Amino acid sequence: MLAAVDRQAADLGLAAGMKLADARALVPELLVFDYDPLADAALLDRLAEMCLRYTPMVSAVPPGALLLDISGCTHFYGSDAALAEKMLAENIEDRLDGAGYSASWAIAGTPDAALALARHGLREGAERQLPVSALGMDAKTHRALERTGLYHIGDLAVRPRAGLAVRFGAAINLRLDRILGIEDRPINPLRLLGNVTAERRFADPVTQVDFITNCLEELFAEAAIMLQERGQGARIIRMLLFRCDGKMARLGIETGAPTRDRALFARLLKERIAALDDPLNPGFGYDLIRLTIAASEALGAQQYMLEDAEKRGDTQGDQAALIGQLSVRLGRGQIRQFRPADSHIPEQALLALPALDAPPPALLDKWPAPKPGEPPLRPLHLFDPPQRIAVIAEVPDGPPYRFTWRRRLHQILRYEGPERIAPEWWQRKDGQQAGKGGLTRDYYRVEDMRGRRYWLFRHGLYGREKRSPNWYIHGLFA
Amino acid sequence: MNIIDSNVLSPWPQPAVCPVAREVADGNGLPLTHKIITNHIVTNHAAGLRQSLTPHHFALTMADHGDDRTATGILARTALPIAALHEIHAGEPGDVSNSAAFALLMAERARMAMEKAGREGAGAIFWVRENGDIRRHGYLYPPGVAELSIDPAGIIYIDAPDTLAALRAAADAARCSALGAVIIELSGQRPKGFDFTATRRLSLSAQKSGVPIFCLRHNAGLPQNQPSAAYSRWQVTSAPSCAMEAKAPGHPVFAVNLLRYRGGHAGFSAHLEWNRDERAFFETPDIGAVSALPSIGADRKDMRQRA
Repeated sequence: MLAAVDRQAADLGLAAGMKLADARALVPELLVFDYDPLADAALLDRLAEMCLRYTPMVSAVPPGALLLDISGCTHFYGSDAALAEKMLAENIEDRLDGAGYSASWAIAGTPDAALALARHGLREGAERQLPVSALGMDAKTHRALERTGLYHIGDLAVRPRAGLAVRFGAAINLRLDRILGIEDRPINPLRLLGNVTAERRFADPVTQVDFITNCLEELFAEAAIMLQERGQGARIIRMLLFRCDGKMARLGIETGAPTRDRALFARLLKERIAALDDPLNPGFGYDLIRLTIAASEALGAQQYMLEDAEKRGDTQGDQAALIGQLSVRLGRGQIRQFRPADSHIPEQALLALPALDAPPPALLDKWPAPKPGEPPLRPLHLFDPPQRIAVIAEVPDGPPYRFTWRRRLHQILRYEGPERIAPEWWQRKDGQQAGKGGLTRDYYRVEDMRGRRYWLFRHGLYGREKRSPNWYIHGLFA
Repeated sequence: MNIIDSNVLSPWPQPAVCPVAREVADGNGLPLTHKIITNHIVTNHAAGLRQSLTPHHFALTMADHGDDRTATGILARTALPIAALHEIHAGEPGDVSNSAAFALLMAERARMAMEKAGREGAGAIFWVRENGDIRRHGYLYPPGVAELSIDPAGIIYIDAPDTLAALRAAADAARCSALGAVIIELSGQRPKGFDFTATRRLSLSAQKSGVPIFCLRHNAGLPQNQPSAAYSRWQVTSAPSCAMEAKAPGHPVFAVNLLRYRGGHAGFSAHLEWNRDERAFFETPDIGAVSALPSIGADRKDMRQRA
């Protein structure tokens, strides 16, 4: 089945919905590609992002339409509103044309009207000439309407509404109103607007990275003033840089604590740009830069420290700033903090989560306190996965006697164990049945002649679970 | 390795034991050997100065412990400045966990001293590490950290892609006065970018921010060959523990060797055991390498009994 055809194919008489065999019969040299709706959607999203330069309210309507809410966005194209709208639309068409897409457009009072007009290649005011299929009801309704002699929206518009609703359902009136511009419908914009947005347009595209970073800092300072009025600080800052050839660069910064500090932002921005895989390439220059505060948190007004500012610095704040800075530079996953997890399997007893996400210390789960009087029962370093070792034991289910690890022989002088750790049989299929729950581990704390302490385990109970269980080294004690 | 039995040869000339009263009674005082630190008073005999430096120093054991003939006593008087760079070398490649634990415990002692000195909420310990080491040495296991009486929630762990990034992260962290300590873990003889200048820079940032920095070195070769601006340099090797009941391995024991100490004489070595309840180090007798044969026999008997 053909999902879509290009213009040349359409001229040859092919159409979407045709069987591939039929199409091949018509045009034997037909080039066929697999239908990839996801890629199409992604492409449409990219085009929609390109249009963010015209208005913040852009919505992609699959399979092939973009909706732009241009109310109040046309003043760059002249003072006459109608003319400016037209210029804007033509500007978009040019841009799409330059990128190799053909587009037809329409401007209307409501999204549905604009969509229907654009699909049928009509202009504003021609709503009544649209065929009834523009209503977007199901095919059966469309057929029924045509059978009754109602071919155009205009035919429907003059009918009494009550009769239509009785015959075709209440939805038809709603759709009719929307196409006729009587009722509006909100569009679902691509990106939810941040609370606070600051942007700057340039008459001449800017190419200097220094200037751009300066400009971003100024934008942040503007945003910070808006944030201050609300008593908030920025946590996530997104920046969009529109290049005049339609490409777009996107930068994001996440801070460890809400901030309005321009110097901190400048530092993070520098880190962020330094950490980019391919450096910022202005090409022919950026003509629009927009900065959005995507997430903010409460941050009270701060008093400047007049004396002892260095000494009495806000310690929590400093640490959060440092975490934010390092996370921007190295990636948020590289700065981690440990939290206990509820599992008795040693390697699953912890969660290493990004320190940026950590709740305040008071809310953190407590680590279990060590048993008084006992030496450390858990190693300081853990191997994941455990490393295989060769062990000689006096009796097969007894403690290890000596072992070879990394081609070295270690003679065991002291040991304690076994500490038996059962597998999580409830995680396995049929785990409750004997022999299917996984292998039990017998852990030994051992010390060799040099005084090094290891954590070894035998994987499987000798004889019962496994004939010759393997030994592993799982950790190193201090 | 150069381990001197501390009981036989005390590395320092007999120093003044210095409650203030006694020092005053001595009048002229004793010739300067090193800075001596006891309860909140440091006496410097030659200069005749008496400064209250303790809030800026930490010691590895409790200040009023032992006398100068024991390692614990010497340790109590080995004043380590908090705002400085300290280097810890793993004695051998297999001693990584031991030296890491020693660095962590030193950091904890420093943090305790900071808290005692009234620096509220001494912050987290930043542990910077290169990515590549994890496969070889394993990763830090928080339950094991908790077993040393250190709260793992107070550790922030940073994986840097390479040595330079690790050094940069550590340098940034060292400038942040809100932290409790910074530990930077480097391996290899000559980590890229880690030269005398780098250590000097770290040490200066530590002095400025008041945050102790511990540089942990593995496989670094001879420590003497490594130029460094560190205030103190320790070599840590694992040592046999004092056995618990039924020959179970006991509390961690470290064979430490103070190779360099700017505040006085270096060359001190001892076997130290971490006491979890006191949160301090104490000296243990040097058990040394126990000869294998008799203990194996004993072990076998023991094993048979258990089996």
